[in-house]
Formats: sequence, C-alpha cells, structure tokens
Amino acid sequence: MLLGIDVGGTHTDAVLIDKKKGIVSRFKVKTDKKNLLDTIITALKEVTSGYDVKKITNINLSTTLSTNAIVENRLEKTALFISSGPGIAPSNFAIGNNTYVINGSIDHRGSEVAVLDLNTLQESIGKCKKENIKVFASVSKFSTRNSAHEDKIADEIGNDADYITLGHELSSQLSFPRRVATAYYNSAVWRIYNTFIDAITGALKNLGIEAPVNILKADGGTMPLEVSKKMPVESILSGPAASIMGIIALSNIKDDSVILDIGGTTTDIAIFASGAPLIDRDGTSLDGIPTLVRSLQNRSIGIGGDSTIKIVNDDVVVGPERAGPCMADGGDVPALVDALNFSGIIDYMDTKRSAGGITELASGSKLSPADIAEKAVNYAVKKIRAEIKKFLEEINRKPVYTIHEMVHGEKINPGKMYIIGGPARALSGVMSDGFEINVPENHDVANAIGAALARTTFETELFTDTGKGRMVMPNLDIDETVSRKYSLEEAEADAKKYTRDYLEKSGYRIDESDINIVESSTFRMIDDFYASGNDIRVKCQVKPGVVMHLHG
Amino acid sequence: MIKAENRLGLVFFPAYDWAISPTHPEREERLLYTQDQLKEEGIFDIEGISELKPDIATETDIMRSHFCFPDVKSVTTESHLISAGGAIRAARAVLEGEVDSAFALVRPPGHHSMKCVHGNRGFCNINNEAIMLEYIREHYNKRRIAIVDTDCHHGDGTQDIFWHDPDVLFISLHQDGRTLYPGSGHLRELGGPNARGHTINIPLPPYTSEEGFIYAIDEMVLPILEDFKPEIIINSAGQDNHYTDPITNMNFTAHGYALLNEKLKPHIAVLEGGYSIQGALPYVNLGIVLAMAGLDYSHVKEPDYDTLYSPQDEEITDYIHQLKAPVLKNYFDPEPDTERAPEGQFTIRHKNIYYDTDGIQESRKEHIMTCKNCRGLFYVESSSSVTPACMGVEIPLGGCKRCAEEGYKIMEKAVKSKKFTTVQLTDRVNKKYERYSR
Repeated sequence: MLLGIDVGGTHTDAVLIDKKKGIVSRFKVKTDKKNLLDTIITALKEVTSGYDVKKITNINLSTTLSTNAIVENRLEKTALFISSGPGIAPSNFAIGNNTYVINGSIDHRGSEVAVLDLNTLQESIGKCKKENIKVFASVSKFSTRNSAHEDKIADEIGNDADYITLGHELSSQLSFPRRVATAYYNSAVWRIYNTFIDAITGALKNLGIEAPVNILKADGGTMPLEVSKKMPVESILSGPAASIMGIIALSNIKDDSVILDIGGTTTDIAIFASGAPLIDRDGTSLDGIPTLVRSLQNRSIGIGGDSTIKIVNDDVVVGPERAGPCMADGGDVPALVDALNFSGIIDYMDTKRSAGGITELASGSKLSPADIAEKAVNYAVKKIRAEIKKFLEEINRKPVYTIHEMVHGEKINPGKMYIIGGPARALSGVMSDGFEINVPENHDVANAIGAALARTTFETELFTDTGKGRMVMPNLDIDETVSRKYSLEEAEADAKKYTRDYLEKSGYRIDESDINIVESSTFRMIDDFYASGNDIRVKCQVKPGVVMHLHG
Repeated sequence: MIKAENRLGLVFFPAYDWAISPTHPEREERLLYTQDQLKEEGIFDIEGISELKPDIATETDIMRSHFCFPDVKSVTTESHLISAGGAIRAARAVLEGEVDSAFALVRPPGHHSMKCVHGNRGFCNINNEAIMLEYIREHYNKRRIAIVDTDCHHGDGTQDIFWHDPDVLFISLHQDGRTLYPGSGHLRELGGPNARGHTINIPLPPYTSEEGFIYAIDEMVLPILEDFKPEIIINSAGQDNHYTDPITNMNFTAHGYALLNEKLKPHIAVLEGGYSIQGALPYVNLGIVLAMAGLDYSHVKEPDYDTLYSPQDEEITDYIHQLKAPVLKNYFDPEPDTERAPEGQFTIRHKNIYYDTDGIQESRKEHIMTCKNCRGLFYVESSSSVTPACMGVEIPLGGCKRCAEEGYKIMEKAVKSKKFTTVQLTDRVNKKYERYSR
C-alpha cells in the first residue's frame, strides 16, 4: 500500500492506496499551523486505522514547513558568503545581516580570473564565530562551471559550521541571484526542517511504520528523506504540485488541457501540453523571490469558495479577500459558495444561512438578491477565465532560441479543462466556455492522491569544454578530465550513467529508462579563426509522473 | 531585489541553428556566452526588464526598405526574417509603451545591406534597422528618426538606404575606411543631393580608446542630435570596437560601450557585429543592458582589462580632436551638391558594389528627382553577376502627385520594355509594394 499526506495551509489530507483496490482509506483534518507534527501524526493514525501498517511500502509527504518558515521569516541566523566577479555589484545580492563579499572571480567558461581573497575570508569567518553563527551558504558566480571558490570557502569554514550549503549542489542552472537566494534559504531552514523530520521519523517508528519516506517537491516529484535533509529548500511550494499530480493519476489526460484547483481562498491554474504538465524552466518564486527550485508551472488567483462578496459602485466583486469560511459553513460574511447555494447550483451545508447573507447584502443596495448571486458567480468565472487566457498567452509568448522552434514551434491550445477542489462540481457547469469539462472522481483528495503516487524527479546538466579537457556535472559534484575528442554521444552516455549512479547512491529508486536527455548541444569553439575545442551541454531529467493511475 | 530605473525590453534571438559557414565569425554560438552571462547575472529576473519573442518580418516589411532582386525569397532565409522581426518587435514594444527602451540582441546582422539586395555582403542580407525604421514610420506616425551606428565597420548599407532621405539622420562612428572593410565612410560622404548633411561620418583612427569614443559622442554626435531633434533614436550597436575583437583594430571597452549608451539614450538598440564572442560580447552586452535599464554598470569589467587595455595615445587624441570641426560643418553647413539636377529633373549616380560574402558584383544607376514639393522620386537600374537587369522605383513617404505619377509611368514603361527581369514598385504614399517579374 502507498500512503500519501499533503499538509496544506487550511486542510491536511491523507490517503491510503492499495495497488489493486485503489483508494482504501482517506482522511481530512484542519491543519494546526502551530503544530504540524501533531496534525501529521493524527492523519497517519486515522488513515491507517484498521489496516496493517506493515503492508505500507512507501510514504510520500508534502509539507508546508519550509515554505511557512521562509514566508513567516522564522529563519536561523545564516552567514552568506558570496564571490561574484564582474557584473552587477555583489552588494545587491546580500540577504540578511550577515552577507560577506569575498573578492574572487570565475568567468563563464569556468576559468579562474581572480583568486579568492583568503584574508577577507578568514576575517569574515572570525566575525561569524563571534556572532555564534552555525549555518552558512557559499555561493560564487559561475560555480556551476567551476565550483573551486565555493569549495574553498567551505573548506576554510570547516567544522565551525553545523551545515553549509554550496550553491552548485542545488542546481546546474545559471543564475547567480537565484543561487544565492536558494542557498541562503536552504541553510536558514536547515535546522528547523531537520528537527521536524527527526520527529516524524520517531513518530513513524512508534506507529510501527517502516516504509521509506519521500518528500514532495514543487516539480511534482519526490526526493528521498535523506536527500531532503540536505536540501530542505527543495520542499517548498509542493502543495499545488501534489494536486496536479493527483489529477494525472485520476484522469487520463492526453491533450493540451487546463487544470483548475478551486480551493477556499484561491484557484490554482496549471496548463498541460499534450497531456504533460509544463515545468517552469527557471525555477519557482517564493514570496516574490526567484529561486532555482524546479517547479510545475502554475499560478494562483485570489478567487475561491470562501472569497468574500462585496458591492462596489452597484457592481458585485468577489475576492481576493477571505473573511473566514462561507456563511453556509458558519461564517459571518457572504462568500462565493453562498452565491452558488442561493442560485441553486449547489446544495452545500446550511443553505438558509447562505440565503440570509445574500439577502442582507441586497438590502443595502439597488440589486436584488438573485442579481447579486448571479453576478457574483459570473464575476468569479470571468476572472478565472481571464487569468487562464493571460497565462496561456504568456506561455505561448515564451522566447525560443532556434530558427526551428521559431518557425515550427507549436502553440498550446487547450480544449479540455479538469477541475478539482471543493466547489469543482458547482463551477463545472458555468466554467465551460468552449472547454470540455471533466471533474474526476475523488477530486477532493486529489492533493493527497498526487502525493501518494508521485514518482521521483531529478535534473542535472553536463557541461564540457573539450579544449580544456574538463567535464563537470555541478549538482552531482562531478569534475572529470576528458579527451579532446570527447563527443556529444559520449557526453549523453556519461550524463545518464553519472545520474543513475548518483541517484542509486542517494537512495532514489528509479530505472535507467526514466532518465531522459532533454537538451543536448555541441558548439565548435573558435579562437581567432582556429578551432579550440567543443562546448558540449547535455541536460537530463527524470520527469514528473505517477507510479499508478486510478482512472478506468 | 534590483529594480530597473527604465523599463527595458530585450529581444534575445541567438539563432543557435544558423551560421554562414562552420568557422565563419558569424556562427551559431556567437551569442551563447552572452546568454550565459545574462542568465548568470539574473538579468531576466530584474523587475522592469522583460524578454520579448521576435516577430517574423513579412515580405512587405522588407520591400518597404529594400529592392530585393530577383525577389525577397531568393535573397533571404528564415533567420533573416526573424532577425529583422526581432528588431520590429523591439520597436513595437517601445512605440506601444510596453517599455521605455528596447535592445534587440539578434543575429544575423544587417547594416552592410544596401537598398538593392542581390545576396550577402559583410555578413548581412537585409538591413534590420532600416526595416524597423520604415515599420515605425508606416505604423506609428513618426517621421524624423536618427540612427547612430557604433559598429566598428562603416554602416555603408544603412547609409546607402537613407542617402536620399532628409528625415533620417544617419551618423556612423567607425574605424577609418582606409584601414578596414568596407573601405567607405569618409568625411566627404554626407548624403544625396536632397539630403545633404543628413549622413554624417566620423572615421576614427585605429586604436581609438574610451576617451576618443566618448569625445566623439560628447562633442560631435550629441550636438548634432540636439539640433536635428529626432522623434526616435536608434543605435546600431555593433560591438567590434572592443580591444579583443579579432577582425578590427580598435581599443574600446565594455564600460565604454555602457557609458556611450547612457549618453546616447537610444530608444531602440539593435545588435550588429562583434566577434570576440567570449572575451567581449558577454561583458559589452551586459554593460549595454544595464545602462539602458538605468542600472549601475560600474562593476562590469572584462577579465583581461587590467592587462590588455591601455589608454589612448596623445597622437590619436589630437587626431580625433581635429575631426570635430569638419564633422560639425558637414551637418550644420554642408557643401551643396554641385551636380544636383534642376527642379523636375533627375540627378544620376553610378555605383558598383561588391558582395564579399557571396562574391557578387553589382552595378547600378540611381536617379533621384529634384522636387520642390517632396523628397523626390527615386528609381534605380541594377544588375549583378547573379541577376540580370532589374529596376526599383520608389515613390517616397510624403511624395507629391507629380512624383507619384512619374513613378508609375517609369514602372509601366520598364515593365513594357521587357528589358528588366524584375521591376519592384514601392509606393510609400499608398503603401503599395509590388513586384513585376518576367
């Protein structure tokens, strides 16, 4: 059996899935933000109650712990060491009060241009000692081409650190500012995350559960628990991804599609191209801060079932505020769900309270209660549609870099829409607008299903300069010598081999066939008209997917 | 988080699948390291900087600026249409208020491409800036536009296209033509009979450094621009004045390019040449991007700056100072064209053009009407080693009734005569672009 838990902002969902019987148990509870551990233990106990926990073969957990710690600024004092070289002034990238800029420079080819200033480095480490700082991040510009400076900084800090994040180990992608932010937050949540994980491990042991635990990531995949202890930042924003993976498990999606997850406060929108979710190629942003954390492309709009209905200049507006639950669920202010209740589109909990709320709202305006209910639903639908349109336009407008893609690149043109979340069925009738609408079974626990069934994901890039005879795979910490004749084919084979070895060693369970080459290029480098070697780049990934489907 | 002072649009189109030939300087990875640098700096995440996808230029867009012989398809590839479309996208972003300024980092380049196109010369087939400029004038009700060409090579193609246009001010700063391809761009080249003083050449001596370039901008380019009062300023942003460029002999820097850009304040910059793809382009492009966005570029510095860059010799400084007076005279008090025809008649110019990349020889005969009511009807007879006699007739923007009627007569007569394999009619007044082929 597979166990999935999704700790969301409002609710925590858990499901237990049998490989033959499908969903055998499900549990939903309000999230106790102050005590996530208790919430998780409750969910674990309840969802497994009556089942033999020894039969659980895998546990996947999606948690908001790291996200909340960063958003609520519950961060450990972290020293950030950066060496940046020419470009935008390094002071722009300081985070927190303990950023140390160390002179030193590596260029875009990975050549050292200026050596690291060891004097300043030693001095800065001394300051950190005085401040009793125990967690560090070391980031240099172009460290994904040559990590020597990041490594040197780590060596010098040595045992003074309880933990140190090296920028190049997080991702092979270029983007110094994103690397800086990602490394910083990784170290800043390291302790709180590890304490939490240790507690969960203990709790599982007490419950007699021995199955391996994986942690969900924003790209819809998982990482082994042990990996997550070193990369807690990779666990941020996994919630929307869990829902998207849930839809994949629940529906047989093959075409360009729109996915809507309508919640209490927000609606999350995702787009599928030919049945596959789109991945944000740069990384996700948290609280407006761009990071290198790989993510499924999605966006959130402030309209959900509990979004407040207001009258502004004789017109009806819904959201983005939420003043507690809707009136049908005991709230004090009429919300979208109340309008749906009033219009008879749904029949949810206390419909009388809904009607009362809408009628009272009408008494202070020129509009009739029926008008308000109708206008509120239309407003919400229109807003969501507009956001879908904007999102699609942005995706189709994304720059491409080859003539082939420019001329032959296909536009994403979805004809189908999949809706999940509380008010999914209610809105399915009014959302259509030319879309074929699907509301999958068990959609209300799609998030936990997605968590339970998500597979492992991984991404890395191989970078070779045959002129220098060097091959690096930054986030695998591989730096090898290769011959001048090293070819693209060899590079592709190496990328797969090293990725497989690394994943096996780190506790991932995957088949080699799951490792796909996604980008592969070789450029002949010319110095003053003479060939000086090849610039070879190979990107490979284990893409998001589910271990089994629950649709017929 | 960094926020741009000015909203900047970047059209980045490196054409990773296109090259003139495998070891040619104009090849696939020319912008690869620039992209690496811009990505690593996080340029595309800066608030106020947005990346734009190029348009694809249409046949009409190209015929508005060029006479393509025998036709557009024969002398262009998809890469050229996207590169020109990239420039058009940059212009649209600015003219429609999406951004304050825009930089089209596109290839292949275009500034050696002239009015008539028979093939590729100086790595260029069609002129990206000219196509963009005419797109702006056709769609956005602008007329007076300045192009400042800061490529190391003389912008002879752009000069040729706007030679007879008094509403376009073309200024080219370049390494003296006596020492570098294409060999033109001398002080005496100052525009056709109806547009004297609106082509300005500033031929700089080899080894001109930061000081010399900035002097030329401050003392020559800016005073002329201030007087001309263009509605739009375009920068042909070639980057081959850099001290590491393999095919030129200048001594300019990334910091210098950024400063130049800050002073010039172009609405739109379009990349031209620049072939030091590892040592210069990543830094020069970064410098220009930061300067255009109004951000601090003082930390942009080439890795070998301290060892390879040296300040300017006094002799060069003196030489450049002496250029100021004749350059300013060319604009403010140009010598009239003594061969200019009287009102209602054509001034004739013969021109032979060599297309170095494709090895084509073109011979042409140009006719420009002296007209008191408009810029003057223009037509050209052109033949080359690959295409027999062709004709192009252009009724200019704001052309008068007489010039328009005369233009149609010449076109009809040429078609009837069967002497020309292709006749192109460009009627800017009625926005008609037609080709008659045999």
